[in-house]
Amino acid sequence: MIDIGFARRRDGRRGRSVENPTPFGLKPERDQGGASNAYSDIRRQDGRSVNPCRQIFFFGDWRTMMEEIKKQSGTIENDQVKKWKSGGGKTLGYTCIATPVEMVAAAGVLPYRVRALGSAETEIADAHLSRFNCSFCRSCLQLGLEGAYDFLDGMIETNGCDHLRGMIENWKYAKGFGFFHYLRVPQVVDPDAMAFFVEELGLFRRALGEFTGVPVSDQAIWEEIERHGRINDQLRQLYGIRERARPGLTGEEALQVFLVGTASPPAVFERELDRIIAARSGHEVGAYRARLLLGGSATDEVAFVHELEDVGGLVVTDMLCFGSRAFWPRKPDRSGTPEETLARIYLNNLICPRMLAEFPQRRDFIFSAVERAKVDGVVLVHNKFCDIHGVDNVQLRMALEKKGVPVLQLEKEYGAKADLGRMRTRIQAFLEQIGGAR
Amino acid sequence: MKPILPVGLFDKLAAQLLVVDLLPRPVLDVAGPLLVKLKLMPEDARSATLALMAPHVREASIDFLKMAATWMLNAKRAHQRGQKVILLPFNFPGELIHAFDKARPLTSEVLSTLGVAALAGQGEEYWNVAMGLGMPDHLCSANTIELGSVLSGEDFKPDAIISSAPGGCDVNSKIHEFVAHYLGIPQFFLQKPTEDSGRGREWYGKYLRNLVAQLEEFLDEKLDENKLRAVMTKANRCTELYYELFDLHKAVPSPVPNIFSLFIYGCRFTMWGTDSAIRTMETMVRIGKDRLAHQSYPAPAELARCVWAYTSYYYDFFGFFNWMEEKGYSHLGDGLDLFFPKLIDTTNMDTMLEGIAESAWNMPMTRQVGGESMSGSWSDDVIHAVRELGADCVIYCGHHSCKQTWSVASILRSELTKQTGKPLLILQGDSWMKRMTPMSVLQDQIEEFVTNIVAKKDEKKRKIRRRQKEAE
Repeated sequence: MIDIGFARRRDGRRGRSVENPTPFGLKPERDQGGASNAYSDIRRQDGRSVNPCRQIFFFGDWRTMMEEIKKQSGTIENDQVKKWKSGGGKTLGYTCIATPVEMVAAAGVLPYRVRALGSAETEIADAHLSRFNCSFCRSCLQLGLEGAYDFLDGMIETNGCDHLRGMIENWKYAKGFGFFHYLRVPQVVDPDAMAFFVEELGLFRRALGEFTGVPVSDQAIWEEIERHGRINDQLRQLYGIRERARPGLTGEEALQVFLVGTASPPAVFERELDRIIAARSGHEVGAYRARLLLGGSATDEVAFVHELEDVGGLVVTDMLCFGSRAFWPRKPDRSGTPEETLARIYLNNLICPRMLAEFPQRRDFIFSAVERAKVDGVVLVHNKFCDIHGVDNVQLRMALEKKGVPVLQLEKEYGAKADLGRMRTRIQAFLEQIGGAR
Repeated sequence: MKPILPVGLFDKLAAQLLVVDLLPRPVLDVAGPLLVKLKLMPEDARSATLALMAPHVREASIDFLKMAATWMLNAKRAHQRGQKVILLPFNFPGELIHAFDKARPLTSEVLSTLGVAALAGQGEEYWNVAMGLGMPDHLCSANTIELGSVLSGEDFKPDAIISSAPGGCDVNSKIHEFVAHYLGIPQFFLQKPTEDSGRGREWYGKYLRNLVAQLEEFLDEKLDENKLRAVMTKANRCTELYYELFDLHKAVPSPVPNIFSLFIYGCRFTMWGTDSAIRTMETMVRIGKDRLAHQSYPAPAELARCVWAYTSYYYDFFGFFNWMEEKGYSHLGDGLDLFFPKLIDTTNMDTMLEGIAESAWNMPMTRQVGGESMSGSWSDDVIHAVRELGADCVIYCGHHSCKQTWSVASILRSELTKQTGKPLLILQGDSWMKRMTPMSVLQDQIEEFVTNIVAKKDEKKRKIRRRQKEAE
């Protein structure tokens, strides 16, 4: 990991380093004939080289906070969920960023995004789905059928992609859900599709009301729209810290923070974000070889981002549905009914390759992120058999390369440790390539 | 500069089919088998020619080839005639495009199938073009072979694309989206709300009307009611013939040659609503009736009556359709035959557009995996076909790109077994490319399945019945 964070000062106390034993400008170890390691040949954004192992950063009780975030993001039924459940709260699972979580929260229910936590085990799932289905969905199904998600009171399905639909259908068929609602999200945006989605949201609202026994009020939805607007602002702020010239958090950390948000009550996450932003505003991560944007399939694999950063590619921004695509473009737009507002917020800003007429929007989104975060290269990943990202990544690569942005396109198996070595080699080669280009 | 000899899939096929178009039927009747005997054709194309020129199907094959020639040459000559070529996926009712004077339809999956059957190299060079652009190798060869040729820049360029796979197939939708962007041509959508309560169907009708309006604007042509009625009347005739063939399939042994399954949806996806489709289907019905009257069957006994749950295999017509027939395995149709058309009310424009919406809603794939429940709608149709046609087994080809069907094949198997007691064989392969699983391997698996499961299952039933009789 690049950010070694809480290295001790020479005087043994924790805190911001008062001296840098390897000042900027140090010739990289490899150039000196020394053995190359993950942290050699590291370049800061300002162009100077450093030895990151000696780069020391301290900030209050950041370590405790980060350890907690790491723990919570790596646990399916985390403490927040347990607390919520023990208080009698209900929890509904969902799988896709097209799900308006504001509506769920307004019903007094905890929206919980189902994910696979990097688990590559799929034996049970493979008896239902096939080897030709994406391994992320197979891993999620595995966890579902193993009972890891038994704390969920129900599931909200969206037609995110064929694999996700198959995953939910098999889960439902094999095990069933206490509550189930299928929210249909159009794949093309036009006035009729928008009207259809408004209708769908009305049905969703009614179903949630029937589930809880209390109709979902307009006021509750407006409040959640406001709250999520604030959360999105906070996340943008956090990404600002991540994307700045001297980034204040790594890609791995940013992903962990985001993942906590998908499995916590929104009000709690809002407070946590304030703390995280405060802690990281004045922080600076260690040195790196290149600034990267990571885009592509559902990537909640912290280990994968860790690998990227371990070889020196700092993920300063992303175009992931476990990341910027879930909040960046969504700005509050309060007019009309709550359903109309949510329909616009979601459908007009659904940066996902499942949207079939919106490639220019996705292209502009990545262009803008590349420029904003001043990235040196883009890594586009897709899980094997993920069709929508598999094709979209080709289009994005072509568009980026046309603009002179180096791109590494990777096809991988979700969470597979066996794949990590191969990925690492390719990433290292890419970093060499973009390093050499400078 | 464009090469003189055709290099693209469409251009090569059009050149071959021009010969078919020019030669009279009696000449083709003799020339086809002669070509096979003299080996005056690419080795790769021999299997298809052998299958098509088999005596019991030859007449229908020639009609089918003539129809395909008309379809392709219409598109080939479209620009000279001031018309536009609209590229469609197979699950769009092409009869709507036939009703426009200024447009000609081409269906990418049919082009791929013809290319795989008739061209040297079986179209794999075009697949390689797409792979060369960085496309993932798990895309669907059914569209990628043809679209690879289009992307090569050395083949025809459609003027627009209609995408009707949203809701039914991600792969199909994405590759068409890619091609539209790559070529810079407009793309029109007919998305299917995956909702079966009736509300989704109402919205779908609206979407179809929007599409018609967009096409009218693009083509600068108002859809003419009389022209539409003429096409829909012919489409209705095709529908009647479809059900005649469906009923013929119920007879034991099946009097309908295996390859007619392909011809039926070949008509559906290309020239439905035209005279040439009617002629082809009438010939198929006549042959089926004759064979029923004569109790003709290519094998000594019908050992297995198979419904194919989704696609069949198309890279070796003879090795697939004819081999099954010779073994006594009847192909009663596959998932692409399960579109159950309805007669369209031709009273006025409104009723006809409603009828087209209904047709589109019921196109294969849209109807099944585009349903609210992918497994539910698909299982219902397959089980219905099994019961209606008296099938004793189902085979899922396992075309590796069909992620939607792959994702619910286990549910299909479970429901099929629960509701009918019939076994399902799950194969793995690429329906359009031999490089994934060779035909000999598929044949071995089918044979083992029929011998060890289907035949023994029947044997057990007979034993039980005998014991019951003895007990009585």
